[in-house]
Amino acid sequence: MSQTTSNVYIQVIEDVITKVREEFTNNAGPGEGVLTELQSLWETKMMQAGAIVGPIDRSAVAKAMGPGAAGANTVHDLNVPYEGPDEYETPTADLLFPPTPLQTPMQTPLPAQTPLPGTAPTPLPGTVDSSYNIPTGGTPITPSEYSSIHENGTSVRQPNTYMQPPSPWIPQAQRPPLDVNVAYVEGREDPDRLAANQANQANQPTTQDFFLLSGKRKRDEFPPQFRPGGYIPQQDGAADVIADKVEVGQGSNSQPGHGPTFSSRIPQLDGPIPDPYDDALSTPNIYNYQGVVNEDYNVANTPAPQEMQAPTPAMINQNEDDDEDEPLNENDDDDDLDDVDQGEELNTQHLVLAQFDKVTRAKSRWRCTLKDGIMHINNKDVLFNKATGEFDF
Amino acid sequence: MATFELYRRSTIGMCLTETLDEMVSNGVLTPELAIQVLVQFDKSMTEALDSQVKSKVTIKGHLHTYRFCDNVWTFIVQDAIFKYDETQENVGQVKIVACDSKLLTQ
Repeated sequence: MSQTTSNVYIQVIEDVITKVREEFTNNAGPGEGVLTELQSLWETKMMQAGAIVGPIDRSAVAKAMGPGAAGANTVHDLNVPYEGPDEYETPTADLLFPPTPLQTPMQTPLPAQTPLPGTAPTPLPGTVDSSYNIPTGGTPITPSEYSSIHENGTSVRQPNTYMQPPSPWIPQAQRPPLDVNVAYVEGREDPDRLAANQANQANQPTTQDFFLLSGKRKRDEFPPQFRPGGYIPQQDGAADVIADKVEVGQGSNSQPGHGPTFSSRIPQLDGPIPDPYDDALSTPNIYNYQGVVNEDYNVANTPAPQEMQAPTPAMINQNEDDDEDEPLNENDDDDDLDDVDQGEELNTQHLVLAQFDKVTRAKSRWRCTLKDGIMHINNKDVLFNKATGEFDF
Repeated sequence: MATFELYRRSTIGMCLTETLDEMVSNGVLTPELAIQVLVQFDKSMTEALDSQVKSKVTIKGHLHTYRFCDNVWTFIVQDAIFKYDETQENVGQVKIVACDSKLLTQ
């Protein structure tokens, strides 16, 4: 870093600080201490960046620039900065952080209550305080408390709209076990209730999947349990009715959650279903895939109808078709990105910022005259008053 | 006096911007005051370059890209050679961004 550049930078800093001082020290301003902090931070960053050679120059320049102002600054350097930052930063930290924590606890208890199907509605309608009390102290909810809460919950119906309908069914049989993880409990006891709940709770399929997977049950045992709780029955039923209607209007990339779309794939699947599921059973990933997300399942099934046996290859084929187009575009983008990346590297490595007086071109010969420029080249800052450029294009 | 925000991308400008960002995010500074500081920097930097810097530079190289948009010339020069103060710097690729000097005088 050239000495001249460093000196100019120091003088610019001094000039800026001097000229904004009034804004800082007037009634509405944050005060001289903040200004001093600004200057010290700025200079520190400049020294770290190597743009200012050293503090010695700065002090020298500062003294040279204005003894009175420099003296005032040094006084403030000793006293104000330490108090100022501490006073400001501490409260600001408090101010900044609270919002996050506030939101977090709000959200946390809600989901915590949600798993408690019967109870969830109750705490929500009640005061916020009660909702907080329940999750913290009362994770284990005694049946009596639960029943009382539940009564309240029934009395106040608002949350029920948010909660799954199954809540009324569950409480009677499952109140005590629901304390911790409702989903798992339900999954275990579900066989009786699956038919009723399957339409209501989306979580159950997942629960079953994990349960079954963890149990490593054989395929023979699977179908009966899988069908009652799984997607298949819904698909089959819906497929028969809606499939024909839907196929006309909807594309292959239909959105998840739409029953019709879902079903549209199914009728074709009905034939192949046993095979895919056999494969699915043997392959955990696919199975989770199906159980957890409906969207993916739709996508996966979409190709399946086209080719009987293997949904996977079918899907690959389609993807390949899509990918064939995308890679071409991506490659084009990559070419552009290469330039962009290089440009970004330029921003950090070699950059000239200036004003132009004149830019001319004769055939492929470019000439430009620049003035008042800052160059950052090979990790050095160089200032110039005038510059001439000659480029061949 | 009109000013360019151009120089904020320089080392000194980036350091100032980072400093102001920190102080604003800490609540020490108001964004309005921070902007005032930046505007003052634009002026001070321009004045300093105009009055205190006397050096001259010549740049040669292969013009890879040129662009003139919103009165701003942008050149990407490859294999550039910078000569100044009897020194020479070779750069594989450099980006030159230049605003119209006439805009300042108007």
